[in-house]
Amino acid sequence: MIQLTQETRSGWYVVGVRGRADGETADELESALRAALEDHSKVAADLGGLDYISSAGLRAVLQAARAAEGKNAEFAVCALSPPVKKVFDMSGMHHVLRIHGELPC
Amino acid sequence: MWHNQAILTDTEFVLHGSVGELQRLAAETATFCREHSLGDEVEFDLNLVLEELFTNAVSHGECAGMEKAVQVRLQLLNDGVHVEYADRGRPFDPLTAPEPNLDASLEERRVGGLGVHLVRQIMRDLEYRRAGDWNRITMRRPC
Repeated sequence: MIQLTQETRSGWYVVGVRGRADGETADELESALRAALEDHSKVAADLGGLDYISSAGLRAVLQAARAAEGKNAEFAVCALSPPVKKVFDMSGMHHVLRIHGELPC
Repeated sequence: MWHNQAILTDTEFVLHGSVGELQRLAAETATFCREHSLGDEVEFDLNLVLEELFTNAVSHGECAGMEKAVQVRLQLLNDGVHVEYADRGRPFDPLTAPEPNLDASLEERRVGGLGVHLVRQIMRDLEYRRAGDWNRITMRRPC
């Protein structure tokens, strides 16, 4: 199960992600992030409510980052919990993503 | 004086070849960890490792749509959780799969290979063998 919310904060369009980003829900996450990038030039994924992520979830975030790069938009991920951050770190995501402890906005 | 103590048993479950089974995989793993008083970090890691092997088998190993495609056994011993994972997919040895290039740029980065990389990062004593129609992997999560 994954829950996605959208709101604007200080010029950033923030997609709030709660629950699990796994092989079953990753497509929904990728679609939400891509849709946000269609209409907004500064998009942040707030992962503060994310309990679990697998490589399928990481791929959704990577694809969003690629889409952002393709259209010169800013994309950041924020507020990772320690277990989620561990998966990002093991995967070398800090090489290719802007990762913030707090929301950038 | 005798104390009442729950008899701890191994957990075994079978999964069909559908990503819809991921919810059951997560629930079975959570139950095992709760029954053995294992923390959230162990549960997260076991769930992650099993999901990666399972989704590989379904997405790339021809297990999609297959009944009883995957068997999992979890057992808590002194040196951690011992995991036996088996699938009826095409032969695939996760120990010899190439490592993804984690330093690559966004443009160059391949999306494949991450799952197996995570399995190898988290687990110890990984062994693979092909037995008949089955890929069999044994491994240990220290705790």
